[in-house]
Amino acid sequence: MERKAGIQRILMEVGDLAYFTGRFFRNAFYPRFEWSEFLRQCTVNGYRSLPLVAITAFIMGLVLTVQSRPTLANFGAESMLPSMVAISMVREIAPVITALICAGKIGSSMGAELGSMKVTEQIDAMEVSGTNPFRYLVVTRVWSTILMLPILVVLAMAISIWASWVGVNIKDVVSWELFYRQVFESLEFSDFIPAFIKTYFFGLAIGVVGCYKGFNTEKGTEGVGQAAHSAVVVASLLVFILDLVAVQVTDLMGLN
Amino acid sequence: MEEKQPDTAPAAPDASTEKVISIRGLTKSFGEKKVLQGFDLDVRRGENLMVLGKSGSGKSVLIKCIVRLLDPDAGSISVLGQDVLTLDQEALDRVRVKIGFLFQSSALYDSMTVKENLEFPLRRHWIDRKHQDVDALVEEVLTAVGLPQTREMYPSELSGGMRRRIGLARTLILKPEIVLYDEPTTGLDPISGKEIVELILELQRTYGTSSIIISHDLHVAKLAANRIALLHEGRNYLEGTYKDLLDSDDPLVKKFFIFM
Repeated sequence: MERKAGIQRILMEVGDLAYFTGRFFRNAFYPRFEWSEFLRQCTVNGYRSLPLVAITAFIMGLVLTVQSRPTLANFGAESMLPSMVAISMVREIAPVITALICAGKIGSSMGAELGSMKVTEQIDAMEVSGTNPFRYLVVTRVWSTILMLPILVVLAMAISIWASWVGVNIKDVVSWELFYRQVFESLEFSDFIPAFIKTYFFGLAIGVVGCYKGFNTEKGTEGVGQAAHSAVVVASLLVFILDLVAVQVTDLMGLN
Repeated sequence: MEEKQPDTAPAAPDASTEKVISIRGLTKSFGEKKVLQGFDLDVRRGENLMVLGKSGSGKSVLIKCIVRLLDPDAGSISVLGQDVLTLDQEALDRVRVKIGFLFQSSALYDSMTVKENLEFPLRRHWIDRKHQDVDALVEEVLTAVGLPQTREMYPSELSGGMRRRIGLARTLILKPEIVLYDEPTTGLDPISGKEIVELILELQRTYGTSSIIISHDLHVAKLAANRIALLHEGRNYLEGTYKDLLDSDDPLVKKFFIFM
């Protein structure tokens, strides 16, 4: 009985989330556009996430290089290190790790901020003053994550490749020009484009889930905590599911 | 603000005065709980009408239905001659601009300063206004609520009474024709509560607003309400002036006045 209720609750949540996403698309392309709030959200979600994304990308690039090196050395394939790290980073690690960081940072802050506004009646106050809170709060935030996440991912790719060169140079001396040439000789557009496209969907998922959880917060302060927490969990899970779908689609299209 | 306030509110406008809000047969339930069960009410231009009732009797639900924060199950609500339950979003927003709503929690945007809170509705509805006009209006409403020194402060730096006043200033900045007050004195000390009541009367005189005041505070009823409607079991049980209710022999009204 309990399991049945649990499944029913999950299905209702999925339905509500799908409806919320539909509502976003119904409002996303028609005026009135809240340009100043959108730019503010781009700063908050994009520019202010940059240090965290940059540090993580640097560490991931460096660690992957240092840890892969002995295995490749056993096969006498150390020269493959730049290509291996670049392909791993561009195709999978940079998009997914950046999306997970953003799910944690942006998703939780959206859930908590909108949740707090909901329980203190600030969203109601906005509505009764004749401002559409969905357009002002949700559409601007979701657009900002859709557009900022790909930029953050591209920067994470660049930083991680540079960090890999730093990692190679811990034990060897390889010029940047040589490393750079090896990286770009191994990379193709078919590595980059699918990875880049899926980041738009990651951005959509993070923005929609963060806003949905915040916008539907109940039960006061406790509800705000739950909204922030479940925004991170659901957004992270969606990132993995979307990644799984993306890899199947690229495989079907012969891009793997 | 300095002048001495009368002991009771001025007389209610006569029955021929234009109705600004007209509610008929309003019904609203939450699951099994029936909150409003055929509630009727008229508010006339320029009057302060108070809806009195026990906690949880549906007073706040009533005013949230008027601005469509909640959708009623049945009935009709006419505001300034328009049936708000049939309006599309755009038309509804135009009506909402003419209605000020003071929330019990004040509902100030806590990430904005007082000035930004006041500018928010103004900039969104009068985007062609010049910068100095916006500044002048902010100054005017802050002076009207007696808090011109709080311009650059954040809501977290204000006391409960000050937040309530700024909330009122934010509703006033769009010059609404109707103001809905949700428990305006609840949670305030007696002095701050009296100041809010004086402010409600002052705004009625200065701006000619019509109001619905939701409260269970009989001091507010005595000082600010031209007319009182008693909400009981989801219906408009009785209407009259404070004196009418005080002199009433109705057992429910008597019980209400004794216990409150």
